Amino acid sequence: MKICTKYHGEREYEEKDIIIFNKGLPGFEYLKKFILFPVEENEVFSILHSIEDDKIGFVVISPYYVMEDYEVDIDDEKIKELNITVSEDALVLNTVTLNSEIKDITANLQAPIIINIKDKIGEQIILSDDKYKIKYPLFREWKYVSNF
Amino acid sequence: MLVISRKKGESLLIGDDIAITIVGINDNSVRISISAPKSVTILREELYKQVKEENIKATNFDSSILKTIKK
Repeated sequence: MKICTKYHGEREYEEKDIIIFNKGLPGFEYLKKFILFPVEENEVFSILHSIEDDKIGFVVISPYYVMEDYEVDIDDEKIKELNITVSEDALVLNTVTLNSEIKDITANLQAPIIINIKDKIGEQIILSDDKYKIKYPLFREWKYVSNF
Repeated sequence: MLVISRKKGESLLIGDDIAITIVGINDNSVRISISAPKSVTILREELYKQVKEENIKATNFDSSILKTIKK
């Protein structure tokens, strides 16, 4: 199966790669099927892309690249809902909001996306405490090198 | 849409397993106690809106800029 994405070219995928978001994502509650693939030019980032809308894809990053001690407290009910039985099955990703100014590129640490990588089920959880920011600057922890 | 008045100390029952009680009333704010099953998500609305807006913003950008960032 194939999608022609707006910003990321054509992607091939199989039925088994599809991750189901039963609740969609805030702002995109109607989109339930996504695939995940790494960004070719920069393996730190991945794209979580809708297979139902070729214009909707999120740049995502593992939060531990952004903040070493990032901690997500998910209650047992949610873990059960996502069918996660062992921690190895859980993948935590956060959306990245890009900007033409690299210093203004941010990650949403307040609303992590939790994916059960074994059963291919995902959900974006909004953490109710204000420990983490919705717009957390990425570049703070990195030194970046421009290609220009 | 139900609009209802409650005095301090009074409650509302929603469905079979949600209860909302007005715990305190100030000039500008109301203190609310909510009892609900763990499976029910309770969120401040503005927080949901902020995440929604951030998601929409996040889908609106050409990611080719990622080529210029190296760790």
